[in-house]
Amino acid sequence: MPNPYIPMLTKVKNIVSENKVNDIKTIELEFKNQEDYKAFNYIPGQFAEISLIGKGECPIGIASSPTEEGSIKFTIKKMGTVTSEFHNCEVGDTVGVRGPCGNGWPMEDLKGKNLVVIGGGFAFSTLRSLVLYVLDEKYRKDFGDITVIYGNRDSGEVLYGDVLEEWEKRDDINVVLTIDREEEDWTREVGFVAAIVKKVAPSPDNAVAVVCGPPIMIRTAVAELEQLGWKDYQILNSLEMRMKCGIGKCGRCNIGNKYVCVDGPVFSLEELKKLPNEY
Amino acid sequence: MGIEIKNQEIENQMRELARNLLNEKKVDVIIGYAKGTVPLSSAPIMITNEEDIDKLIWNNLCYINLAKYLVPRIPQLIDPEGNNLKVGIVSKGCVGRALIHLAVEKQINLDDIKIIGIPCNGIINRKKVEKEIDEKEILEVSASGNDIVVKGKDFEQKFPFDEYINELCKVCKVKSPPTDASISEACVGECQEISNLEDDFADLAEFEAKSSKEKWDYIKDLLKTCTRCYACREACPMCYCNLCFVDQNKPIWFGKTTELSDIIVFHLIRAMHLAGRCVACGACSSVCPMGIDLNLITRKLEKMVKERFDFTSGIDSETLPPMMSFNMDDEQEFMLEED
Amino acid sequence: MDQKILMKNEIGKLYIELAEEYNFYAPVKEKGNIVFKKILNPDDIVLEYFNSKVPPKEVLFPEMEVLFEYSLDGKDVEIQDRQDLDEKNVIFGIRPCDAHGFALMATFFTAHGDCEDEIFMKKRANTILMGIGCNEPKSTCFCTSLGGHPFQKDDLDVMLTDLGEKYLVETISEKGKTFIQKLKWLADAKKKDVQQAQELSKKSEESFVTKLDLTDIDKILDPNFEHPIWKEISDICISCGTCSYLCPTCTCFDVIDETDEYNNRGRRIRIWDTCQSCLYTLHTSGHNPRNSCIERCRNRIMHKFSYYPKNYDQIGCVGCGRCVQLCPVNNDIRAILTKIKNIEKEEEISA
Repeated sequence: MPNPYIPMLTKVKNIVSENKVNDIKTIELEFKNQEDYKAFNYIPGQFAEISLIGKGECPIGIASSPTEEGSIKFTIKKMGTVTSEFHNCEVGDTVGVRGPCGNGWPMEDLKGKNLVVIGGGFAFSTLRSLVLYVLDEKYRKDFGDITVIYGNRDSGEVLYGDVLEEWEKRDDINVVLTIDREEEDWTREVGFVAAIVKKVAPSPDNAVAVVCGPPIMIRTAVAELEQLGWKDYQILNSLEMRMKCGIGKCGRCNIGNKYVCVDGPVFSLEELKKLPNEY
Repeated sequence: MGIEIKNQEIENQMRELARNLLNEKKVDVIIGYAKGTVPLSSAPIMITNEEDIDKLIWNNLCYINLAKYLVPRIPQLIDPEGNNLKVGIVSKGCVGRALIHLAVEKQINLDDIKIIGIPCNGIINRKKVEKEIDEKEILEVSASGNDIVVKGKDFEQKFPFDEYINELCKVCKVKSPPTDASISEACVGECQEISNLEDDFADLAEFEAKSSKEKWDYIKDLLKTCTRCYACREACPMCYCNLCFVDQNKPIWFGKTTELSDIIVFHLIRAMHLAGRCVACGACSSVCPMGIDLNLITRKLEKMVKERFDFTSGIDSETLPPMMSFNMDDEQEFMLEED
Repeated sequence: MDQKILMKNEIGKLYIELAEEYNFYAPVKEKGNIVFKKILNPDDIVLEYFNSKVPPKEVLFPEMEVLFEYSLDGKDVEIQDRQDLDEKNVIFGIRPCDAHGFALMATFFTAHGDCEDEIFMKKRANTILMGIGCNEPKSTCFCTSLGGHPFQKDDLDVMLTDLGEKYLVETISEKGKTFIQKLKWLADAKKKDVQQAQELSKKSEESFVTKLDLTDIDKILDPNFEHPIWKEISDICISCGTCSYLCPTCTCFDVIDETDEYNNRGRRIRIWDTCQSCLYTLHTSGHNPRNSCIERCRNRIMHKFSYYPKNYDQIGCVGCGRCVQLCPVNNDIRAILTKIKNIEKEEEISA
């Protein structure tokens, strides 16, 4: 077995600034070694430990879908030391990648189900991966109705404008975009995500809801789903925790006896309720 | 009078004072020392019920500086509404100094604190005693007459008290908490007014006689076993920063490894941060699991501050420490000096 | 099992024979502390000791360890893997509790996720544990309360028993057997040596002062996650790392890149970290799931006495007593465990 702390090397292929304030960027990476790329077998919802070697490493959810071949993408918000360094990087720079890490969205269990994807703000990256995956012509038939509810503070914060536009054009997905307050030229919904969930009122029958966003959004949106008759096992979350190794060794991301990096980051509400409230 | 008898007297008085404070509702909680579960130790204790008062002890192993628990206030010392509880704090001289200094640095308010002053005659140098006993297990430590008596399975050994207390305690001139008119309200028990503290720092002569290289070698040798558990920092009443310089990562100022250069940088910069603030309690050295004694470094800084600014920390409840105040005519020639 | 005799005055000979092939680690005294160090001169080896101050985990999981090195060349990076993991080690004089610590570390480092901690596991595989049983346990030792024993052999390759002038040498594992067979000059043990060793073992076991009943401690812990006792337990904790750094089973670490900007090279390292530090779980956003001492103290106890049993069916403490002896504020884990046990009793009374 090789040293699990050694990253595979990739090159930055493209950098896209995702929002108006320019503190969220999507970085596209190409593996230097094709063998590594083949070995990087991931599903939506997984993350990777990515590093600018010499500056440090951090865990970031994979924003690309396995169906987007040739490269992988990470959407990075400028927050701490390493993410700030990522915002300074340029096309051609070397980036270390270890992974894929974590369990990811349970794609097998989702088959045959209606999907309700609820996202808020920056936490949409692994939802982008999920939706692109289920919309792929190879897999679309495996899933029922697909509803996406995606909320942001304002229109300048909406990520992935290009793919959202594509989705809105299709008739096999219902995309509901919302922002917190009225804005000129905004023709979609206005209001908090929870309110829009109430309005859209997705049916829990044979359905799974995938919820990602800031804690307050998750709490309020989940409360609405519960009102609509959704059960805990039908609601999936992806958790964030401070991590170093990403492979269940460094210790810090535990919630009770579970390690978010390997047992998560995806947990159903039912599973979360069994864990101590320490996250 | 033997040390044990004196300690017993102090202990009785202290319990009485603490009991009264609780009974008269002048305080909500008493912080003091309880008997340790292993020899050569004691444990801090928080008492809210009068029945528990007899758990309070006083002896020469009460090495923790209890002022530590006030900045930031631990949850146990705050009421459910978030207000500070009234705290009675068992204070030997250096705990009193820490309280005054923390008040000067505006970290605590002496209005919600009662200083239960006790005269301390020195804290046993645990590491020195352990080294003497070597690889035998100490099962009991007590004081008798002028000796520390250490007992184990097949041995009993006596150590002269005056020699086996912390080096800082040997030169300590503030045995009981300092007080003055503006804070006397806060003091019960034995406190003392200190006007001018004379200290010749004769204990530093040996260290100062060393060449720069010898001093450096001393520091390297002193610190080489450090594991960077930060017990010294966490036990220090003056190390209350939200984020210690050594933990900052934006940018990373200092290396975090246990390579000697990183260890030295941590300890020396921490010492610099304590210049004019260290209250010479010796808790850092008492708690070090590896037995590192930092007193020479902090003592040297205390001397420099005394000489240059005529300041001693934790004596005067009004004067700002020199590193926290600024005057246009402050001397600055020392910036070029090798010392 | 082979039974041999090693005279204490033959330790030098043993060292010289082994040092060519192995890094030979043994207890030495450094600035008043017993620690395990790589021996360069066999005269430095200390044979009279209770246990080391820092557990021998530092031999295989040092306070600071290189994960890999790198050199930077413009936009390119070259990575160099560790080359020293195949070196062979002997840890002479390790106590049975600390050997059990290695077993628990190995369990942890292989249990989670798809990959093992290759760095630790390779070194562990290349290490012979030549342990010495404890004739005289300390009053703070409590291995017997955790299913251990002062002469526990399971986790050792070779077991030594101190018979005064000499050691009884017993081979435990296959690895140990092969290892000892190479030392042809070792005399065979006599019946009375083996008998003496058995007596010492029995006597030692009987001499334990600390006896804790930890049966089903995990079952008490789980429903009491929010019990007010955690506040009481964490009252005096000052959040230093002494208990975890000196614990033979604690394995948490931090990862840091150290770059020499002038020479465009550097290393990614890991250093010990502790769940008692506030920064350990602090998110970049400022949120901290274990923000106070209460949660942090609870995590340490829960990890060893609830999460370990849940995940690996065994307790994550070996009862070495280091944290008991060295906690700066004497927050004695034995007292903590007793308090937790008493929750149950109090509940029985109130029921």
